[in-house]
Amino acid sequence: MDRAFLDELRQVVGDDGLLQDPLELLTYECDALPHLRESPAAVVLPTSASQIQGVVRLCARHGVPFVPRGHGTGLSGGALPVAGGVVIALSRLNRVLDVDIPNQRVTVEPGVTNLEITRQVAPFGFYYAPDPSSQQVCSIGGNVAENSGGAHCLKYGFTVHHVLEVEAVMPDGAIVHFGSTFADTPGPDLLGLLVGSEGTIAIATRITVRILRRPETVQTLLAAFATIDAGGAVVSDIIAAGIIPAAVEMMDSLAIRAAEAAVHPNFPDADTVLIVELDGPAAEVTALFDTVVDTCRRHGATTIEVAQTDEQRARIWRGRKAAFAAMGRVSPNYYVQDGVVPRTRLPEVLNRIRALEQRSGLRIGNVFHAGDGNLHPLICYDERVPGDPEKAVEVAAEILSYCIEAGGSLTGEHGIGADKSSYMPTMFTADDLAVMQRVRAAFDPQGICNPGKVFPTPRLCGEVPGPHRAHPIEAAGLAERW
Amino acid sequence: MVSGQESTLVPNTPVEMAELLRRASEQKQSVVLRGAGTKQDWGRPPQHIDATLSTRGLYRLIAHQHGDLTATIEAGASLRDVNVALSLHGQWLPLDPPFAAEATIGGILATNDSGPLRHRYGTPRDLVIGTSVATADGVLAKSGGQVVKNVAGYDLSKLLAGSFGSLAAIVNATFKLSPLPAASRTLVAAARDAEELGRFVREVMASQLEPIAFEIHVPSFALMLRFASVAAAVDAQAHAAEMMLGAAKLFDGDAERTFWSQHNERVWNGTGAIVRASWLPANVAAAIGELKSCAAASGVIEIEMLGRAAVGSGLVRIEGEAKAQARAIEQLRQSAAFGNVVLRRGSTELKSLVDVWGSSAERQPLLASLKRALDPQGILSPGRGPA
Repeated sequence: MDRAFLDELRQVVGDDGLLQDPLELLTYECDALPHLRESPAAVVLPTSASQIQGVVRLCARHGVPFVPRGHGTGLSGGALPVAGGVVIALSRLNRVLDVDIPNQRVTVEPGVTNLEITRQVAPFGFYYAPDPSSQQVCSIGGNVAENSGGAHCLKYGFTVHHVLEVEAVMPDGAIVHFGSTFADTPGPDLLGLLVGSEGTIAIATRITVRILRRPETVQTLLAAFATIDAGGAVVSDIIAAGIIPAAVEMMDSLAIRAAEAAVHPNFPDADTVLIVELDGPAAEVTALFDTVVDTCRRHGATTIEVAQTDEQRARIWRGRKAAFAAMGRVSPNYYVQDGVVPRTRLPEVLNRIRALEQRSGLRIGNVFHAGDGNLHPLICYDERVPGDPEKAVEVAAEILSYCIEAGGSLTGEHGIGADKSSYMPTMFTADDLAVMQRVRAAFDPQGICNPGKVFPTPRLCGEVPGPHRAHPIEAAGLAERW
Repeated sequence: MVSGQESTLVPNTPVEMAELLRRASEQKQSVVLRGAGTKQDWGRPPQHIDATLSTRGLYRLIAHQHGDLTATIEAGASLRDVNVALSLHGQWLPLDPPFAAEATIGGILATNDSGPLRHRYGTPRDLVIGTSVATADGVLAKSGGQVVKNVAGYDLSKLLAGSFGSLAAIVNATFKLSPLPAASRTLVAAARDAEELGRFVREVMASQLEPIAFEIHVPSFALMLRFASVAAAVDAQAHAAEMMLGAAKLFDGDAERTFWSQHNERVWNGTGAIVRASWLPANVAAAIGELKSCAAASGVIEIEMLGRAAVGSGLVRIEGEAKAQARAIEQLRQSAAFGNVVLRRGSTELKSLVDVWGSSAERQPLLASLKRALDPQGILSPGRGPA
């Protein structure tokens, strides 16, 4: 990289805001999808929106691509660096700027973690609704980029339903406000487009979200079933009864065994478990929860455990939220996708996945948001076995093809990123993608803002979607996956 | 705003719609989109119109996937017809914008219009999960999909919300639905003055009450709360609200339905200009104070406001001469208590005195760039939208 450009970068972010040492750059080579890896020319660690603006203006003037990065927990390679480009790491923009309880909103910088927002407002009886499993460590800026969901988005929606205003630096360095703390910004909903654009049209520098009152009552149950079909039928009947649970989660036997080995949530040894949570006014939850319990019984639940205390509820959720990390207990490696199917097609698609498991010889654990049909197939393999990693990739691709055939989506919450961009033509026509590209070019005519993500590009040799591997800093023994 | 010799085009299929637009683009003929025409005079008067493109030939409910709580609907279908069909499976698209009896899905989405139910269910942009559009140069393209949870690709549905037909023509849209509530009750209470109204609003917002609508009206200082759930929960919540707010009137069944349909027409049935304005919900007393001083200073005859208490969004009806209305609108735009003051209904004279949209400040270059990207010839409702 041009020395003069680096000197200019240094003038903007200071000596301690510029990383060039190959060892320091290691952390930034990938996000939580470590098989896609690239070394950036430099990483900058700005501390303010005006520093970001300075960096972006420099990049725009020199035509240097840049990649915004939150806390690197993304699962689709959305923060994968571009060779010869700059990574703009937002971890130092981590201040909580305003907590406005009467108006039920909080303003933060993008590096604040998702859970920190809830921590700030919990003493007043409020919380921030979107709850991705990584909420303890993921950044709100990353949540905005990916339109993150979580277990409770069936009832409460996604990040896009909870963000009121974003201040962002555009690819030409202009600072623009998307949305407003006042409702009803006139004109096309630019904020709605920005949220979920995977860092390809702007960099969020300040974010105002709305917070919700803690519900009066929460009721949670864990029910076990002998077949996936029985669990699926319960979900369908709950929805048909006009009930929108706060969350409906399913896990199959492999996922249950993994969770049991890792965090001992005391789940029953069953083919399928279902977690159903209702929240809201006490009288409503009490009435509807009886219907849920009856529905589970009617479909032959082998056990039903109703959480009587917050601790019991937390234990059930610990088993669910630890499921990904727990796969390490039953398999040396795993690869996860997050395709979506219409809820009514769940049993059919899950049975296809089970047939595929038989046929491929790779075990597949299933942990998923059953309420909204968002699958998380965990494909187990051993990278030491020749051909296994490639087979895992093929299996993942086949599962995504089932989702598309059923009228679903490639991704429910992890994003397309660099991981699934080559599959986009299976879901969208060339015309669909061309119109999206026109929109992208309207924001970023130079194509320097997180290029190579979302849209299909001819892949380089050896750059294929692939399975879970250790992050370089894990491999170097510097960190552990939680 | 459409006048003169322009023709009306009525495509019956998406392909026909795209073809008509492609031809219009080639011939640089300007086109304004029209559903039921209930909001045709919203926005700036378009600069010049050669043709009206009607969506009335695209009126089908394409699919109601009741097990998935979704429906795909053509742009020209009326919200009322759609909700009649969805109710067969105990579901609805929970939107209640003004003119709900005629307004079409395409028009409601293009204006992102909503009513009291917004408190619980949001605006069309919150409910839409996928759209198919015809671009101005005749490309049929979709974004989003048929499933509620989906982050694949750009969500262009959001861009259509609030575009006023200036970016692309909506062909059809897929929405997430809700179950129809089993029971419903509305409670109406009155505060003595703006301060008490403000206190009530803050108390309700901080409470465990979960209404599906929460409205205020000025100058009556009335609060309206609608609870909908299972019967036991409606009883309990309405009772708790009554304890909090004091003496109240209760409406159930047909009386409740009549109440809300009158409520939704209330501002529109009055004379004068109508602006949409927003405020911070906990600061509603200050916003009402501002309305009073605005009325006094501008010389208008009357100001009425009705809106969503906890969202901080409402309609303000301003009765008086155009010049006084214009002064009132400018004053609301200057005020720190209000934001996003947009003229919805106003005379031609008023529209010549104040800009319909107000300033879009630093978003202007982005909006212009988007318009060029999707409508390179500038044929769609030129001048009408904020870009």
